[in-house]
Amino acid sequence: MKADCRDLEKALAGENPVLTAAFEVHALGCAACGRELAEWRRISEAAPSLRRAWDSPDLLPRIRQALAGESVRAGAVTDAAPRRRFAWVPAASIAALFVLATVGLWVFRNSSGREPLTDHWRTTKAPLLTDQAIDEVDAAEKVYLASIDNLSHLAEPALAGKTSPVLANYKEKLVVLDAAITELKASIEQNRGNTHLRRELLAVYQEKQRTLQSLMKEVKS
Amino acid sequence: MPDAVFSKRPRRRRILVEARIALKAKELALTGTDFPTADSAALVELFETHGGRMKSIAMNLLGRHADAEDAVQEAFLRIFRGAARFRGGASLSTWAYRILVNVCYDTLRRGKRRPESPLPEESELRGGTLRDLPLRLAIEKALEHLDPRERTAFLLCEVEGFSHREAGEILEVTENTSRTLLFRAKRRLQKELASGGAFAPAEAR
Repeated sequence: MKADCRDLEKALAGENPVLTAAFEVHALGCAACGRELAEWRRISEAAPSLRRAWDSPDLLPRIRQALAGESVRAGAVTDAAPRRRFAWVPAASIAALFVLATVGLWVFRNSSGREPLTDHWRTTKAPLLTDQAIDEVDAAEKVYLASIDNLSHLAEPALAGKTSPVLANYKEKLVVLDAAITELKASIEQNRGNTHLRRELLAVYQEKQRTLQSLMKEVKS
Repeated sequence: MPDAVFSKRPRRRRILVEARIALKAKELALTGTDFPTADSAALVELFETHGGRMKSIAMNLLGRHADAEDAVQEAFLRIFRGAARFRGGASLSTWAYRILVNVCYDTLRRGKRRPESPLPEESELRGGTLRDLPLRLAIEKALEHLDPRERTAFLLCEVEGFSHREAGEILEVTENTSRTLLFRAKRRLQKELASGGAFAPAEAR
């Protein structure tokens, strides 16, 4: 295989080792390509010198302290969560879902910019997602989350001690959903007005609810 | 079999959510250390294994030791929050670096502009010496002109030695996209350095 000056970009990209090798041969006799290749290599050779290392003996203790504080807060939230098994849980879940969906729809219609709801909205340039709306979403989310937690507690005995592949899949999916919820909530904490994240969180909650309901059906059958 | 558990609905939002979940599941499938808690050996192991590299990446993205250490601490907190609901074996490394990079982006977005990097101490240099300092400083300066993702791809692959597969996972892009980002980064760096005369001393040497 022969290479010429036109192969410079492809050779530097390094996707085809044969082409790169052929280009290196070409570069031996071409001053311009030889210079380009040499500069390219000098960047790669110098790059590792950008690594930085310094002693920071206080960092690990700081992280430990911060994690300990986080554990205390997380524990307080967990302890405060109700752990009762009531028959009203499914109905409450559906009601909370309805409230959340309504608020979500309202937020979506306002934030999409397609159909401003009122003239007042046009003239005042009020924020798309007001603090009041955010509080409503948060309140609805808390109720919904509590309902789902109760469903989770109902499902726990079914998952514990069962080793069938189907139940293992449910268990894995629930773990993944919980991780996604935690991650989304952390992102929302950074940006409370982000409607996209909130819609995504709602979708994950709904998926978790459906999963728990399917799981309970699976266990009964 | 797991696919059968997930309901299939042809909606964009659902696809996005499931893609995110699939990504998470992939991470979970990797076995490794336990998630870190305040008293766990997993925390020490994660810190000792990856803390140095995390600090280096954060330093090169943020430009200040204090900001870099804050970013690493925040990354550990986010790892903890993400792991609070489960225990068990899971590989944290790629996830930890991804979280760190996102923390650094958040810091930069909040308006903490990357300051001029202080001259490094001899003890800070790894894989290079003060002889490389002029070119190294020129690269650092030129890096500021790059798109953040290109800059991160360069730092991950060329500076820290991650493979394109790993860098792709950290940047949440494909391996090929990581390759493309690195290529663009190096091409721009090359132009910046050439126009600034950074290559001249080497040729004279």
